[in-house]
Amino acid sequence: MKDLNASLATMEPTTACSGFGIAQVGAMIGGLIHRGRPLSIVLTNLCELIDAAAKGYSSSVLLFDRAHTRLRHIIGPGLPAAYNELLERRAVRCDVWPCEGAASDEPEAIVSRVMSDTLQVGKVLALAYGLHSCQSWPILSLSGELLGILAIYQRETARATPFHAALAQQLTDIASFAIQRKRSEEALKKSEALLAQAQRLSSTGSFCWHVATNEITWSQELYRIFEFDQTAPVTLQQIATRVLLEDAPLVRTMFDRARSDGIDLDYEHRLQMPDRSVKYLRVVANGTRDQDGQLEYIGAIQDVTERRLSEEALDTLRSELAHVARVTSLSALTASIAHEVNQPLLGITMNASTCLRILAADAPNLDLARETVGRAIRDCQRASDVISRLRALFAKKRCTTELVDLSEATREVIALLTSELQRRGAMLHLGLVDDLPPVKGDRVQLQQVILNLLLNAAEAMTAINDRPRQLTIRTERDGGERVRLSVQDAGVGLEPQDVDRLFDAFYTTKSSGMGIGLSVSRSIIECHDGRLWAEANKGPGATFSFSIPRARESAPAHGHCPAARRPALAECAVGNS
Amino acid sequence: MMIPVSLISLVDDDQSVRESLPGLLMQLGYAVRAFAAADEFLASDAVEQTRCLILDVAIPGMSGPELKQELLHRGVRIPIIFITAQSNETLRTRLLAQGAIDFLVKPFSDTTLVEALDKALRES
Repeated sequence: MKDLNASLATMEPTTACSGFGIAQVGAMIGGLIHRGRPLSIVLTNLCELIDAAAKGYSSSVLLFDRAHTRLRHIIGPGLPAAYNELLERRAVRCDVWPCEGAASDEPEAIVSRVMSDTLQVGKVLALAYGLHSCQSWPILSLSGELLGILAIYQRETARATPFHAALAQQLTDIASFAIQRKRSEEALKKSEALLAQAQRLSSTGSFCWHVATNEITWSQELYRIFEFDQTAPVTLQQIATRVLLEDAPLVRTMFDRARSDGIDLDYEHRLQMPDRSVKYLRVVANGTRDQDGQLEYIGAIQDVTERRLSEEALDTLRSELAHVARVTSLSALTASIAHEVNQPLLGITMNASTCLRILAADAPNLDLARETVGRAIRDCQRASDVISRLRALFAKKRCTTELVDLSEATREVIALLTSELQRRGAMLHLGLVDDLPPVKGDRVQLQQVILNLLLNAAEAMTAINDRPRQLTIRTERDGGERVRLSVQDAGVGLEPQDVDRLFDAFYTTKSSGMGIGLSVSRSIIECHDGRLWAEANKGPGATFSFSIPRARESAPAHGHCPAARRPALAECAVGNS
Repeated sequence: MMIPVSLISLVDDDQSVRESLPGLLMQLGYAVRAFAAADEFLASDAVEQTRCLILDVAIPGMSGPELKQELLHRGVRIPIIFITAQSNETLRTRLLAQGAIDFLVKPFSDTTLVEALDKALRES
């Protein structure tokens, strides 16, 4: 510092400017900024350097606020403290001092007004301290915005040489650089603070992943969400330790696909924290190329645990309700059937009892006995009629027929199911043929079947943790006249004894569920003149498929459809008694 | 001189019941008249002669329990055996508390019916 000051001392203002000295000042100030010193210290140092180099002069920097309607700070280490304090007091007292509406003025006009006011206010003190005259220059930003004023006071009246204008220009450039640099640092800090706050509030962190080097930039919020030590850089291995075991295949697949395809990512997975608690994350990331053409992912991760847990609670409630509703309607249906059958049963009992009594007489009236037995037989017929009538109820609705593209119908179902499948950790692969011949049938019913098959497949894989939960849905032509849809899972698979009974009503291998789904699905497919079947895969899991005829040009509307809809309760009460 | 035969009336909208129950009752030695609805019974001359009424709970129009109230209102006191195809504990308790002889759930046996009838005829 001493050497530097010595060299600056050669910067004689009356002589030509010493470029060496200015370069040194610039480097000095740059160093201070780089070390993160506050602006006031940087500018104080600048003034001190000027004062040391230019003997007989005292420099001062007046800083404006951003709207340059008021002075924010006055720096002048070589000026008497009383003088600076006087001006500061003046600045504090007057909000808009010294130049209301200055923003619209030319910088030079503002500078001139400010300085004339300043000198007017401080005149007596200045003279008392031997400050003889003052020259001033605007400190301008690159865009021409007025940042402050460089004011250079001359002490000795005898050497009334003006400060070198070119030198002053270079000094204002250095001051301008310092101020702008500090201001952008402040703005950056503020914006970072804002971003951090927003990330904290929305539980969303951001990251950047350089695929080739595996270098990861991790926002503070992500450190918090993953509960990582903030002092160490994050590695993929470290992230992997947090991923819930069941979701590891999904996350691995996503990373692999990102590496090879550079596709955009949007998926959900779970974390298991050191305290065994589970967090739900939504990951969204875009693959981009950096300036070297290297693949880079920039993305956001949101902690959606709270939302997911409340959704799950809601789901549980909804399925419990649905179960109760099904049990209720089933019990109502059962009561209705019981009522209808009990009437003829009483008839049979009474007729049989009567007959026994007739036959027990000494001279049995055989004609009467025969008549009574005949009535009993007729009552049996009536009981069986009740059953037929109930079955007819299920059969009375016709299908709504239209041309249906199974691939398109499947896409619509998947659009509804994506998040549900993801939540269950299933990785869905689509093999949908685009130019599939249409089939004729009830779109909604067919979609119910597709939905049922997909949900069954996802459910069959919920307990699978040692392999990816691959779920594949395909559509294809099945010979020339038929169209086939198949759903393949990697789940628990089928037991040979189950295969035959799978499609029976009320048969289920699941702890939850009534075993209605597949039986209804099969009747829907049969109503479309099709076939629904299940096969064990060569590997793990099972494949459920259906095949239905493609639509003919002038195909007539379908006949009765057994499973078109379940009867309303009112319709179950066949007659009454 | 003939022993007067007790008249048992039956109100039930189910044809099987209307045919089979009378057969048994006649075999037991009672006279029987069967009606498909409450108003048919009320309009007939059987109301005064009936010694026991076998009454279905859920008949179209005036229900079994309503017919019981109506008879009470007219001052006709006939022992009533309720029969029903749908068990209902609350209704059973209420009707028995109001003096019904029995509340039989279909299908019931002939001996159950005979016991109820014996009790009814003892009371009438």
